[in-house]
Formats: sequence, structure tokens, C-alpha cells
Amino acid sequence: MSGPEVLVIGGGPAGVSAALELARAGIDVTLCEQGPRLGGAIHRQPDDPTQSVHVPQSHKRRWQALSDALAGSTVKVLCRHMFAGIEATGAVLLEDRIHGRLVTRRPAALVLAMGAIERVAPVPGWQLPGVVTVGGLQVMMKSTGRAPDGDVLIAGSGPLLVALAAQMASLGNAPVAVLERSPRLVSLRVVASLLRAPAYLREAAGYLLTLVRSGTLPQRGVCVTAIAPKDGRLSVTVRDRAGRERRLLVDRVALHDGLLPNSNGTTTGQHGPFIVRAGDCREVLGGTAALADGRLGAQAVLAHLGQTAPANKGPAAIMARERQAQAALNTLFDYSGRDPAQLPDETVICRCEGRTLGQLRSMLSADDPVSAREIKLNGRFGMGSCQGRFCAEWVASFVASQRNGTPPQPSEIVGSRWPVKPVPISAFVTLPPSSPSE
Amino acid sequence: MAVVGAGIVGMSAAHFLSRAGWQVTVYDTGVVASGATGSADGAVSVASKKPGPLMTLAVAAVKFYEHLIATGVLVDEYLPRSTFVVASDQEELAVLERHAGELEAADVAIRMLKGAALTQVIGAAAPSAIAAAEVQGEGHAVGYRVAERLRQLGGFAIRRNCRVSGFESTNGRITGLVTEHGTEPADAVLLATGIGSTHFLADAGLIRPRKGQLIVTDRAGADTPHFPGPLMSCRYLVSKGSQPAGAVAPSRSLGLVIDPLRTGQFLIGGSREDRDDRESADADVVAALLRDAVALSPSLAQLRVIRVFAGLRAATRDGMPIVGRVSGADNLWIATGFEGDGICLGPMMGRLCQQMICGEPPAQDISALDSARFGLTLATAA
Repeated sequence: MSGPEVLVIGGGPAGVSAALELARAGIDVTLCEQGPRLGGAIHRQPDDPTQSVHVPQSHKRRWQALSDALAGSTVKVLCRHMFAGIEATGAVLLEDRIHGRLVTRRPAALVLAMGAIERVAPVPGWQLPGVVTVGGLQVMMKSTGRAPDGDVLIAGSGPLLVALAAQMASLGNAPVAVLERSPRLVSLRVVASLLRAPAYLREAAGYLLTLVRSGTLPQRGVCVTAIAPKDGRLSVTVRDRAGRERRLLVDRVALHDGLLPNSNGTTTGQHGPFIVRAGDCREVLGGTAALADGRLGAQAVLAHLGQTAPANKGPAAIMARERQAQAALNTLFDYSGRDPAQLPDETVICRCEGRTLGQLRSMLSADDPVSAREIKLNGRFGMGSCQGRFCAEWVASFVASQRNGTPPQPSEIVGSRWPVKPVPISAFVTLPPSSPSE
Repeated sequence: MAVVGAGIVGMSAAHFLSRAGWQVTVYDTGVVASGATGSADGAVSVASKKPGPLMTLAVAAVKFYEHLIATGVLVDEYLPRSTFVVASDQEELAVLERHAGELEAADVAIRMLKGAALTQVIGAAAPSAIAAAEVQGEGHAVGYRVAERLRQLGGFAIRRNCRVSGFESTNGRITGLVTEHGTEPADAVLLATGIGSTHFLADAGLIRPRKGQLIVTDRAGADTPHFPGPLMSCRYLVSKGSQPAGAVAPSRSLGLVIDPLRTGQFLIGGSREDRDDRESADADVVAALLRDAVALSPSLAQLRVIRVFAGLRAATRDGMPIVGRVSGADNLWIATGFEGDGICLGPMMGRLCQQMICGEPPAQDISALDSARFGLTLATAA
């Protein structure tokens, strides 16, 4: 095949759908996935192909259809290839984790379908070992095919809490409790809105049935206020709607406060490829929408390459329907987290560097309105391994809550540099020099 | 007193001028340390200097950092330590020995390390290293931390995001600054504007951007060999010395320094490139630097790169900073063009600017930096 190459990043439904659509139009497509197998967060397959995890039938069927289509297509699949960013001359950097090397590509277009970013609101003690994210625990569980052992507490807000709890119960270790911050209960209005996207209702009903059987239905209006180490375990203080506090002693805490689109690695200079984002990476609407959005992303690429894409209103209609369903679903949850102004000084904000809210507060106490850049450099917020990907939102919102004037943007703390994730030096040194003499 | 530019030179000058009784306001297009100061490697070092006025000033500037620590102006922003210049072949060794002799002639303490002493002191050096010169009595300072300390000490005002576009003057004296937020009165002006100086000077080609790219790693594990201080490759000195006089500088050169930071991370740099695309680092330069770094210290291969960044140095036509007056106004001074030496020279230059502006005899001979050598005049636009 000749002609322009298109690179698709992310082997979830959006990436696979985009790659298939492009291949059908005769484009030379390479699909890169950082993990050992395709699937993404939702269809993640165990690393060991002989293992399996329990997933809803609808998910299983959808993934089987995608896998079959992929096997019959011209899409080239590169697993264990991580997208590391776009460098100054416009080259796309991929860390090839099979061979431990860095490779560059210069595609005509790049589809970023890397999925959403999981959001966790700071709470005292969230940096302790044993505190994980709900999504992180789910990855571990789907990769190994086993439930995490010990007593696990799930807390925060969002449909993912119930999904993880049910999957753990199916694998033989139900969580000790599921604490949902939002007190709102499912109303008829929400159910009515979801009738147009019945897959959600079927999925939720399946999870809830599992939780009824294991006796771990979510407790609504309850949140975690602090986590502290105790006797080699974690003592978790939780507060209910009436303000009553109690303590739970557990081995692990899984936190989750919603999902955010992922804009990492998408800024590029004048030299870079044409970029589109697709799926939860662009707008968090779930797996069904991701399939449609992958096709829309592919069509945008085809239009850019001067190819007329077949007129098809299907994907756009699916997106509209899923957007409505997600909006209805989101009314049931409370992603606000605790007001940072109410958190104690010792609360760690930047977990990479162990920087606390008190240290951030002291930087703001002066009359001088220090900039986000100064807070970042001198306070070392956003300077650690994650480069602010997980703390920038909280630093920015806390600064905004403490003073008047233009609120700082998380983007001033995260920046737009590559690599988008840490890359081993051993991989860099394999890059062949472009100019032999220096 | 208006100081234009909130980099290390401007902030230091504001500090000393305010202590000398001036009411000082610092103006910056961006924020504190948003230019070269915020993206520098922080070497307070004479190790790579050639003999001449810059080496003499750098030696004095290192002592000035010690003075600032002793007098409490700086607390822990300056970390004293040696620099190790490493030779890996006979050609580099010959250059290293000559260079060490030149540094000793300038009263810099040097210890030559070879054989068992070399491996004992620098466990992290590759077996291919045959010798190293330990340049003693110098150190490291993070530019933005020095600027932040001076800001915290206060005594002067800072106007961020306030671009100065020109001046109002009467009878050959500046009376005010024209800013994007209106005109501000000023009795005297110091331009410490780095690469932004081009805007104010009639000779637009006098100061050119020289890009540098730097790499930050994650923290080293417990098994990483010992780095007693930054390791500098002698190859840089070899290429520096081999250029015939008057030759056009190459558009890109790499001078490898592996700097162990206090956080346990490493800063690996840097390039010198005649270009001005500041906000971007390219994989080719980064990979070339990392190849050199791993050749000098193989254990680095196990670390990961978490950040790469680029900055622009302000380089003058003759490679020497410019400190002095700008003709066209009696009360206008400039201190710019420090290229890669701003963090080393900055605090002392702030003090020297204060002495120059107050009419005091300067503590160091800065006649070699005098702006008169270029006959500076104010740009008509300013």
C-alpha cells in the first residue's frame, strides 16, 4: 500500500473504530497500543490470554465484532508501543517497549484515542500506599484476571464505583463497602432519559443485582474525609449526610471522582501532523459513543487528506443520543470532591513530590500576586514524574479560591511538553542520529 | 528607579538598589524568571571559562554567592560543590591539563584525578574515563529560586505581565516608561532585558538568541553510582579550543554536563543553537545529549526522562556581556548579553549595576563589558 500513513494511538473502541474506518478507505493505518493487548479500559483483556474476566454480554459481543473486523483488515497493530509526544520538528515519538527503543514516525495525520483521565479529588492520606484509583484497580483486575485481595473500600462518585464493586464480587472478593458521595437516588426522569440508551440500564441492573447478592449496595451521601495508616492497614474516616463520622479499617482504598478528557500531547508546532482526538480522550461519553466518535475522527482525517468520506449521519446521531444519556446519568453523581479551602494544611496536593496544601497556602499569603508559573517552579507543584497531570486541576482551583483576579488555568501548570509520560534513557539512546557530525 | 526585566540580573539589581535607598519597581513582559533565568542549568562555575575578563569575573561571582550566603541574603539557594571535567582520550587529556593550568593561574583550586583516585571519587564515570580535573570552590544555584528569594526579601515592587514598549523623555532624560497599562514615572531606568533587549537597541543584530535544550530525569535509585558533583565532558573544551579565531560558530554544538540535583534527579544538558524557537525541544538534540551522557556515565541508562525544555540565551556579537550606559538618555543603563553565564554572574552584576548607577566605584573591573564598545543607542521605536 502506498500513500499517506495515519497513526492511531490507543487500542480501545475509539482507536480500533477509527483505524478500521481509515483502512476501509484504503489508508495505510498503524494502530499503537501501550499495553500488551488491545481493548482499552473497557475491553481490557488479561495479559495472559488463557485467563478471562467477567464482562457484560453486550461488551463481549461488541469487542468480538471489533476484533474480527480488525483481523480481516489491513490495519497494522503495534502493541507495547507508547505514544511519547510530538517533538519540535513534528515527528511523533513512540516508545517501543518490546525492543526498548524510541522510534519516530512522520504520519500525515494522527488520531489520539488514548481514553479519559481518571480524576481523584485530594483527601488527607490519599498519597499513602494502599490508596489507589478505581480505574487503576480495575486495570489490575482485568490484566490479572483476579480480584485484589484483602478488605477493599471503594469511595468517591460515579458509575465506575458500582462497576468495579460488581466485578470484584464476581471474582470472589466483594468490597467491604461502596461509598457514593452523591445522595441523589435514581429518579424516573433519569430512567426515562436512559431508555433511549438501554444498554446502560441493562448494565447497571446486572451490576446492582450482583451487589445485592453480595450485600454491598452503595451507601449514598457518604464520603471519605481522611485516611491514616494504622497497624499496617488503613484507617478511613467517613462522613454521612448527617455529618456523623465513623472509621473503617481496611487494606486498600479505591478512590474515583469522575473522568476527564485527555488533552496531553495534542499541542504541536507548525511542523506536526494533522491531529484529531476521538472517544473519551476528546469527550467522556463511554464505549458506545467511542465507536461512533472513532468513525467521526477517521472521517475528519479523510477530509483533511482530500478524500470524500461516504455521507453517513449514523455516528453523529449516536453521539447525540449518548451525550443525552451521559448528561442524565451525571445528574446522579457529585464529582465536586471536598472544597480545597476546607482541607487541612497537611493534605498532600502533589503526590509525586509530596507537596502539601499548607506549602501552597504559604506561597499565596503574600500581597504579591505570584503567577501560576512561579507557584509551579518554586512550590514544585507539577514538577514531578506526572508533570502536573494529576494535581494541576487542584492547584489551580485552590489558588482561584484564595484570591481575586484571573484564576490560573491548569494548563499553565501542566504545560505542553513532551514526553507525555516518562521515557527510559535507554530507549532514547537507540534513536539514530539525523546528522552524523555535530 | 525602574528596572525592566525580572530575571536574575534585574531582581538582583532591584534588591541592591532598594537597599541603597532607591524606590524600585521591576517590570516584566511575563512573570518573575520567565526568560533565560527560569530555564537555565544553574551552573555557578568557572570550569569551562577561557582565560580573560570573563574568567576573572566568574571567579569573583562565585565568591559573591558565598558572600550572599554569609550575609543571609541567600539561605540555601546556593550549593557549594566541585565540578569534574572528564577526559576520555589522550587528546582530551592534553586539553584538560592545559585548561587546568589556566584555571590555576586564575587562583582556582584544581585537583587532578587519575587511576584509582578517579574511580574512587567518581564512581559513576565510565571505565573509558582516563582523568578528571576537580574544579573546587564553585557550586550550583537554581536561577528561579534565587529570583524567588530576592522577591521574598522584598523592598521593591514587581509589575508582572506589564510590557515596557518605550520611554518618555525631556531634555535627554527619561521621565517615564510607556507600558501596555499606561505611562509610569521613572527617574532612572536599568534595562536587564536579556533577549528582549533587542527591542530597545538601534543595532538590532547585536544580541541574538542562542537556544539551549535541557533534560530532567526522574529520581535515581539507591543503586545509582555516586556523583560527587556535575560531570562535564572535556570534549566540549576540545571543540571550543579547536575553532580557528574568527571562524563562524557552528549553528549547533553540544556541551555535555550531567548535574546531580538535590532532589536526586539529574539535569542533563545542554545545546547551543543559533535559533529562536524557544518552546520546543527536538528528539535529535535530546537523544544526542543522552548518548553522550550514557557514554560518560553508563548507569544513567536506567533512569527515565520526565521533562525536556528549551530556553533562549542572549548572546552578543563578541560573546561578552554588555554593562553600561545607552546613549540617548543620561539616566538609562543596561546590563544584558550574559548568554550562558547569567546565573553565575547575575547576583554580582546586580550589585555592580547598583554601584554604577549610584556613582560608586565598582567592586570589579567591568571595563571589558562597557557598552561603549558597541556605541549603543536607543532604538527609535523605544
